[in-house]
Amino acid sequence: MTDRNTDVGGIPIEEVVIEAKEALRDRSPARRGETSWTRLWDHLRREWQIYLMLLPTIIWFIVFLYKPMYGLQIAFKDYSIFRGVAGSPWVGWEHFETLFSNDQFLRAVKNTITISFYNLLFGFPAPIILALMFNEVLHATYKRTAQTIVYLPHFISSVIISGIVITAFSPTAGIVNTVLDWLGFDAVYFLTQPEWFRPIFVGTGIWQEAGFGSIVFLAAIAGVNPSLYESAVVDGANRWQMMWRITVPSILPTILIMLIIRIGNIMEVSFELVILLYQPATYETADVVNTWVYRQGLQSGQYDLAAAAGLFNAVVAFVLVMTANTLSRRFSRTSLW
Amino acid sequence: MRRLTLAAALLTGSAITTPAIADDHLRIVEEPLELTIQMNHARYPVYEEDWPVERVAREMTGIHLINDTVGANMRTDENTGRTEALNLMLASGDIPDIVGSSRIRDFVNQYGPEGAFVPLNDLIAEHAPNIAAYYAERPDIEAAVKAADGQMYYIPYLPDGKYGRAYWIRTDWLDALGLEMPQTVEEYEAVLRAFKTQDPNGNGEADEVPFFVRQWPELIRLVTLWDGRAHGSDTYHDFLVEDGKISHGYIGEGYRDGISNLARWYADGLIDAEIFTRGSSARDFLLSENLGGSTHDWFASTGGYNRLSSEIEGFRFEAFVPPASVSGKRVEEHRRILVKPDGWAIGYTNEHPVETIRYFDFFFSEEGRRLANFGVEGEHYEMVDGAPVFTQAFLDQGPVNRSLYQAGAQLQARGYYMDYAYEWQWTNEFAKAGIELYDQGDYLIPDFLGVAFTEDEQKVYDRTWGSIRDYMLERQQSWILGNGDVMADWDGYIAQLDGMGMQDLLEVMQSAYERQYGG
Amino acid sequence: MSGVTLDGIVKAYGALQVVHGIDLTVAEKEFVVLVGPSGCGKSTTLRMVAGLEEITDGDLWIDGRRMNRVAPKDRDVAMVFQNYALYPHLNVAENMAFGLRIRKTPKDEIKTTIDDVAEVLGLTPYLDRRPADLSGGQRQRVAMGRAIVRHPKVFLFDEPLSNLDAKLRTQMRAEIKRLHNRLGVTSIYVTHDQVEAMTLADRIVVMNDGRIEQVGTPMELFNNPANTFVAGFLGSPPMNQMKATLTDSGARVGDATIRLNGVSSAQTGRDVILGIRPEHVSLSPGEATSALPIALDLVEPLGSEALLHARHGESNLVFKAETRGDIHHLSGVGEVHVPAHLVKLFDATTGQALSLGS
Repeated sequence: MTDRNTDVGGIPIEEVVIEAKEALRDRSPARRGETSWTRLWDHLRREWQIYLMLLPTIIWFIVFLYKPMYGLQIAFKDYSIFRGVAGSPWVGWEHFETLFSNDQFLRAVKNTITISFYNLLFGFPAPIILALMFNEVLHATYKRTAQTIVYLPHFISSVIISGIVITAFSPTAGIVNTVLDWLGFDAVYFLTQPEWFRPIFVGTGIWQEAGFGSIVFLAAIAGVNPSLYESAVVDGANRWQMMWRITVPSILPTILIMLIIRIGNIMEVSFELVILLYQPATYETADVVNTWVYRQGLQSGQYDLAAAAGLFNAVVAFVLVMTANTLSRRFSRTSLW
Repeated sequence: MRRLTLAAALLTGSAITTPAIADDHLRIVEEPLELTIQMNHARYPVYEEDWPVERVAREMTGIHLINDTVGANMRTDENTGRTEALNLMLASGDIPDIVGSSRIRDFVNQYGPEGAFVPLNDLIAEHAPNIAAYYAERPDIEAAVKAADGQMYYIPYLPDGKYGRAYWIRTDWLDALGLEMPQTVEEYEAVLRAFKTQDPNGNGEADEVPFFVRQWPELIRLVTLWDGRAHGSDTYHDFLVEDGKISHGYIGEGYRDGISNLARWYADGLIDAEIFTRGSSARDFLLSENLGGSTHDWFASTGGYNRLSSEIEGFRFEAFVPPASVSGKRVEEHRRILVKPDGWAIGYTNEHPVETIRYFDFFFSEEGRRLANFGVEGEHYEMVDGAPVFTQAFLDQGPVNRSLYQAGAQLQARGYYMDYAYEWQWTNEFAKAGIELYDQGDYLIPDFLGVAFTEDEQKVYDRTWGSIRDYMLERQQSWILGNGDVMADWDGYIAQLDGMGMQDLLEVMQSAYERQYGG
Repeated sequence: MSGVTLDGIVKAYGALQVVHGIDLTVAEKEFVVLVGPSGCGKSTTLRMVAGLEEITDGDLWIDGRRMNRVAPKDRDVAMVFQNYALYPHLNVAENMAFGLRIRKTPKDEIKTTIDDVAEVLGLTPYLDRRPADLSGGQRQRVAMGRAIVRHPKVFLFDEPLSNLDAKLRTQMRAEIKRLHNRLGVTSIYVTHDQVEAMTLADRIVVMNDGRIEQVGTPMELFNNPANTFVAGFLGSPPMNQMKATLTDSGARVGDATIRLNGVSSAQTGRDVILGIRPEHVSLSPGEATSALPIALDLVEPLGSEALLHARHGESNLVFKAETRGDIHHLSGVGEVHVPAHLVKLFDATTGQALSLGS
């Protein structure tokens, strides 16, 4: 993440970086006659405190991310828990063939991408807009209260959220149908109508997460140099112009990074909430890869099939995130790595 | 330390219990033998060595079970059949001497043949006279618990008693509107319609919900009123067996007609508008708000709602016999299943399989069965005229099943044969009246007790069943909600199912069934 | 008449008053520097002129118009900020054009203006660069360019050079001075650096603790500081200050006496503070000088001259002596010679300047 605006103690950040680089160069002299291994050893001995601090993260990665990769091979095996990962026989691409010859899996892939796309289209800008709106609120108490209110849904469990949603959209007593009734419309049994599932699901997601998601953008906004605004005020910019010409461009790197991360999660639709809100009647639009795997897995603990679906998800996500990152780096000089 | 507790338990045990167990004809081992156990169930996540029942069983048999449960905080979910705790146990590579769990059948039938569990056929024949005697009487149940290789890998929990669910109706509403108890599907519809339109709760609004259920698949059972079938066992959407033939309710013409009529009922407001999302609180909410008219639910718990008469003037919610279908048949599709997929098994590292099977057999002996059903004599029940009767003090402790779990009795993660007498003693009068009513007729139909697959059959099943079930449920709900007309869509629906492999699936089900039950 | 007048300007944050009534008139084309230690209220005063801070009390006039309630953009002022306030996502040309675009100036006019100003500031080769790719001095120039293109009535500078290194600061200082001479726009410049103040200002306003201590041309302030604060703030090193008592023949400082003419009998015995500029002493006695015995602590050679750090009694003193490169002879210095006519006197309690006689 590059925020070229940040100053460290009044010194532009790149000068600090240059200084740091020079300092490092000073401390690791490439003396003649030394092998790279002894240099590395010297380096480690001198900087061991820093590597010690790095250690927990490395261990975390190994234990929780790299070691489990070993288990990925069950996607290509006829896995039995009793026989273990190593003891189960190889079956090649059989599980993938099962997946891709299944219409419902393909539908679930389509639904996953569609829901994620709507989530991206409507759910991604929501916290940004919210953050910009909060930034315009001057009254401190009012701002704090409003923020607390919009953060709250994030801390409610999906089970409660789904209960609220089911009640709100209930055809007999729900607030939505009550309002529709006042306006003279017929009651709609929203949660059993396939065409309503996605709007409700995406809307619920926005309601639940937009507030909390706005925190990172508020933090980015708080990092914008206040004299940029003062300068603009003197130049005659109004609040709208300052928002568009200063705030938004200033937090653009943050927005792009969040977007890349979001794209990486495109295959991950909030699985619990789907399970809690969908019905067989809405499978047509609601069934996503994870829920499909969940239901399939019920039959006989088909971990191998689930692993194959998970691997497929991961590959898709990896390709998407690489693409987004490359595009972002090329067009805006901002990238995750 | 462990010996000390054992000694202490023996002391306290003998202090409380009567001399009835003084003779040790039930003793399995001379020296106390310790066996490890994994016991996992939603209501009692670990095995507890100080359950009174276990204490007495230990005393009687000399076998001391040591808790070795992993995954205690994972629910082995009754509804979804997930067996996370068992999977975790297996993945840990260490299988205790005894493994008891709900939903254990598919698990042991898959991993037993792979070598994870001890096959029980010979052990039962040689060392378990009580279990063998039971199976000699019920070969169908013996067949039902067997894996595809013909071996039994677990000793099941065997429910007793015939009835589960029944039709219930607000009889005070019938009286208020001057209606008779419905005897046929047409009359039932007329009654529900009257509930909707004639304001039986008298609040001036048409807010009554004539028919409601807690689990929406119960609604589908109403297709029996049009000679259809819904669920072949107490597992929803299960296959059914009729005259030795495996089929599925959702491809029958009676089902088609039933769904068509249910869609009409739904459109007319006779069925709860929120039937698919109201969920488990539906009965509680709709009855206590004086809105619900009729349902299909369990005898005991539903009868209990008559306590609402203290709040709602004249409230009476009574069971009635299944209305006659269009062809005049009265069918109650739901019954207590004869054998549950719950129970216990012997892990492959157990060095004392003979002692273990004798221990399992103990719970099928007269004393053992009484212990597993009623708890400890003197503590939970007294013998009255040769039959166990719960003490009033015990019944007053609160929900009886919960008290029994706390005593270590009625544990469905243990293989035992339930004695319905235990339940009858505290069944409320409305439920009893209903059961007696149902006993006068012959409404029950045989359940499908399940099959065990060979590996090839399993593959066909895995490939087809999930998709087929999803598709059937999707269409089912859509038709009821009025998105599409079942009559018009039917041929396409059947063709689609065949395209998804319905016939292959029925074939493997049939071959598995014939192998298991002898065709 | 595009002058600026501050009439009793007060700034308070709630109960806390930070600027206590500033009266100041800046004439058209004048370059006025507000100088003072940090926290003295100079930046706040400037920001009130810009309109970035609300004026609590008093009146602000620009070009004969009362500006208290006028929005910043309508005051026709341009401001240069300490950290330049350049938009990181815009290149140099766009940064300079920002204010003009906001004002919907026609595009071709913007272009000519920017080209002109870039030419003046030597920024023409950098117009396409982003601020991140510029050096500190170039950024500073862009910041000024952005103010210049607006052709405002008043320039406001808020410590514009403090982020630059010493060499660049000297260079930019001269550049600002040249620009002002060329453009002739009324300017108010805030700094804490007295050298900048002395070199740039037509008039200097010394502020302390939310008040003006003295206003005047640099030389007036240097030669006749109104009080000990101004005396101690301007000059490098600043004026030495010693406690003294007036006698009929002069001022008694510890054991020594500085001979002064014209101490009136009424003033005799009065406690004063004696001010001597470091450059006004000499190492050898001259006409009408008095000897001041000192204990030499340290000599700092500066090339052609040296700074002498010394003590007299409890007072730490600094003197400047010409050496022409030879500092060895300074080690033996035991006294310095103070010319009577260059000695300043301040009241010991109020710190205000005193004159002898009357």
